[in-house]
Amino acid sequence: MRFMIIRRADKETEAGMMPSGELLAAMMKYNEEMVNAGVMLAGEGLKPSAHGARVKFSNGKPVITDGPFAETKELIAGYSMIQVKSMQEALEWVQRWPSIDAHGEVELEIRPLLEAEDFGDAFTPEMQAQEDRLRAHTGGKP
Amino acid sequence: MKFMMLLKADKTTEAGVMPDEKIIVAMGKYNEALIKAGALLAADGLQASSKGARVNFDKGKRTVVDGPFTETKELIAGFWIIQVKSKAEAIEWAKRVPFEAGGPSATGDGTGQIEIRQVFEAADFAPENYQSEEAKAALKAEGEFRKREQK
Repeated sequence: MRFMIIRRADKETEAGMMPSGELLAAMMKYNEEMVNAGVMLAGEGLKPSAHGARVKFSNGKPVITDGPFAETKELIAGYSMIQVKSMQEALEWVQRWPSIDAHGEVELEIRPLLEAEDFGDAFTPEMQAQEDRLRAHTGGKP
Repeated sequence: MKFMMLLKADKTTEAGVMPDEKIIVAMGKYNEALIKAGALLAADGLQASSKGARVNFDKGKRTVVDGPFTETKELIAGFWIIQVKSKAEAIEWAKRVPFEAGGPSATGDGTGQIEIRQVFEAADFAPENYQSEEAKAALKAEGEFRKREQK
């Protein structure tokens, strides 16, 4: 099973504060452990929402709003993608997240990803072929 | 520049309603267009938050809370990672997400929201801010990690 670990934003990530050397080292150690265990698939950090935008569709028509966005609670600051056998195993990895992040107050969300079999009959062989092309291109697993 | 396009959750995605064939076909076409333009790096959909959990740290102490989570506005239902030349180009791609065909969220009424966020890259970590030996080692390890991740 693949899971996305979402690191929620906070005042410091939204202010564009870069991680300290100590936190950077702790995060890399954690990531390396997951890479060595064959668990980690990907991970990225996001710049503050001031660098971003929102595109809201109404009746299919897009309206653009530039960042920053005030509701920090609704924002995310980064994610990691892992492949493990169960939610239990995912939670065990998440609980090993460096506790110094966000001065010991970090908020993480764990979400299982949709896999091809979750789409059921609507997912035709043609779509599977298209999905395979996409995965081959992006290097995503499975 | 790398951008993440976040598909915001709505009642339909949170109810675990799967997109129908029309929407899957429209999304497939959109993803193919991203691939042809050399822009697509990754894309995935998330299961409803009822299948997920949160881990909150309080003074380093961990508390696990099982989903679902009620604040649908705060949740995401899927994402793309794209490589483009500018934020304007990222916005152009977000405008093309096929909501008129029902959209990836399966509400089918042409409504939805995409949030565009720029992704940190190695060049954003100014070396002068990371002088300690362990920080230097971490930045070096990050480069090695990226190479392994791409395999």
